[in-house]
Amino acid sequence: MADPIRRRRVRHPVAHLVLCIGAVFMVGPFLWQLSTSLQTFGESVSVPPTFLPHSPQWSNVTTVFSALPFGHQLLNTTAMTIARTVGQVLFSSLAGFAFARMQFRGRGVLFGVFLSVTMVPYQVFLLPQYQIMQKLGLLNTLVALFLPGMFSAFGTFLMRQFFLQLPQEIEEAARIDGANILQIYWRIMLPMSAPGMIALGVLVIIWSWNDLLWPLVVNSDPRQMPVSAGLASLQGQYTTNFPVLMAGSLLASLPVIIVFIVFQRHLMSGIAFSGVKG
Amino acid sequence: MLVAPFLAAAACSGSSDSGGGDDKQVTLTYAIWDQAQVAAMKQIISEFHSQHPNIDVQVQVTPWESYWTKLQTAVTAGTGPDVFWMTMVYAKYYATGGGIAPLDDQIKSSKMDMGAYVPAVTKAYTIDGKVFGVPKDVNGFGLCYNKQLFDAAKVKYPDESWTWSDVIAAAQKLTNPQKGVYGFVAPEADELSWYLTVPQVGGQIISPDGKSSGYDQPATVKGIQFWTDMITKYHVSPTLQQTTDTDPLAMLTSGKVAMRYCGSWEPEEIAAVPYGKAHIDIAPLPAGPDGNRNYYSNGLANSMSAKTQHREQAWEFLQFLGSERAAEIQAKTGTVIPAYEGHAEAYAKAMPEFDLQVFVDQLKYAQPFPASTDTAAWRDDATKQFAEAWTGKASVDEVSRSVASKMNDALSKEKK
Repeated sequence: MADPIRRRRVRHPVAHLVLCIGAVFMVGPFLWQLSTSLQTFGESVSVPPTFLPHSPQWSNVTTVFSALPFGHQLLNTTAMTIARTVGQVLFSSLAGFAFARMQFRGRGVLFGVFLSVTMVPYQVFLLPQYQIMQKLGLLNTLVALFLPGMFSAFGTFLMRQFFLQLPQEIEEAARIDGANILQIYWRIMLPMSAPGMIALGVLVIIWSWNDLLWPLVVNSDPRQMPVSAGLASLQGQYTTNFPVLMAGSLLASLPVIIVFIVFQRHLMSGIAFSGVKG
Repeated sequence: MLVAPFLAAAACSGSSDSGGGDDKQVTLTYAIWDQAQVAAMKQIISEFHSQHPNIDVQVQVTPWESYWTKLQTAVTAGTGPDVFWMTMVYAKYYATGGGIAPLDDQIKSSKMDMGAYVPAVTKAYTIDGKVFGVPKDVNGFGLCYNKQLFDAAKVKYPDESWTWSDVIAAAQKLTNPQKGVYGFVAPEADELSWYLTVPQVGGQIISPDGKSSGYDQPATVKGIQFWTDMITKYHVSPTLQQTTDTDPLAMLTSGKVAMRYCGSWEPEEIAAVPYGKAHIDIAPLPAGPDGNRNYYSNGLANSMSAKTQHREQAWEFLQFLGSERAAEIQAKTGTVIPAYEGHAEAYAKAMPEFDLQVFVDQLKYAQPFPASTDTAAWRDDATKQFAEAWTGKASVDEVSRSVASKMNDALSKEKK
């Protein structure tokens, strides 16, 4: 109290030190990846490890494009991620709204059944979902990549929790003004739940961008695969060309990094907004 | 939206009959897992296609870890690839589970000579008296060594006269703690370590009838002890911790270890590193104390899906995959030794900087890779348990007995 400035001075170096150490741990792997992506194969497997390539091998980047339909796969990943994100935010918020705000018989039981889905490991769904895609004649198509991922029990749970927190009075006021249930959802509840939707959206984007097993199983044609599956196929059984793999991974993560940098302010303000509101 | 050609073909086969007509255009799918072999496979396919213009073949490459998940899902759903790579490890599982088709009728009517392949491979894919795969390749092993380190320590290069004691003596002379150089590397990797030495002293991993474990036999223990002694008794090998953190092959090609047991698929990677290309060479795998050279070799086969809609065409393709010409194409890449006997010269000549002939000469000692219906159940457990022996926390004898009893439990559960 007596000397706030001095206290700050003492606290800041420690905070900075902690943050710097954290930053090294976060950024280190990225720099390592960048360095490896420009090394020769020999440099990438040398002991002790090579920190900086002797002469940058830009050809690793072009190899990625010749080994894979990379641009096409990047588009697939983007399309898959957009469809899954829009789908999950829309369907999960609809279902979550129903569970949180509507009275109907068997609601508790139904919600319990819903939640039980989140307790089953994903691999169990692999075969049935594959068979559904097969029956629909969708194997090896773009649609197969995103269709089962457009809805999730977890998203429904998350959105339900969010809707539960919103005050009852607003809903009642809307009803008195003559809004029907869909209008309450669309005009009142949805705009108020933006932070929840953003949180869900970000989670879905990250999950979808990295998703590997499902795309790898359901699609076989490289042109119908997302980047994650394409990169995985660059691994040999015994030998993997690490520099090329790293160059590909770097290219694949670039769009996400750009999206984050551009939308960083929005993401942060969304989270801050929800904090103030709550 | 693009529709993949093989999806269209699958739809056709569902609606019409199974296509016996020779002039009908058919697309087969061929699933493999190794990116390094794609080029050779594509060449084989293009030559096959020029002989059989009515059969198109599409390659599906899925990395090893996901290959088996995908294959199982797809085969169960009946949409799996028509022809695919099989390993000895999973052959019994797929054969007894109805995933791959027996080929005896086709072999008989086409008069295919199964004697043309390395016997260990043919034997491994003959399950309950039926043939479930056309042998594709076979693994050989040798002793990779660093000429520069041998010269510096004034040790004679290894040759075909070497046995275990020569390896130990040389490793002791080559180990130089000041320079961080070890004479030998003893990774805990069954296929690249004790699967090579256990048969050399007459031990076994699994009994020939596949019903009981061989881990509790004294000879098997002796074969495993060779490896742990290198670390805990002679101190001539990096520890388990070190070989887990750093790929032992990278240690070899960086001049950190002077000798390593190598597989026939590895020279390509060694040559890709300039230091390795300049200083590494390959000698025959050292024999057991009594000169025994037997070893366990995995080898792949091409198998036909039991649910394929195009049996005839798939068989045509399998025949070509098992042909001399296909063997020659594969051999030239230097990646694998074809299982077709007498066609390994092209492999041996693929990389003149190394003496690849040692791998080929060894094939006559190959034994089928230890496998049962659920190989992974006991193989993974063995690898897990032997870590205790590698770190010196428990004796090989103790661990082996524990591995054997768990393995016998697992095997007794396999009864159909």
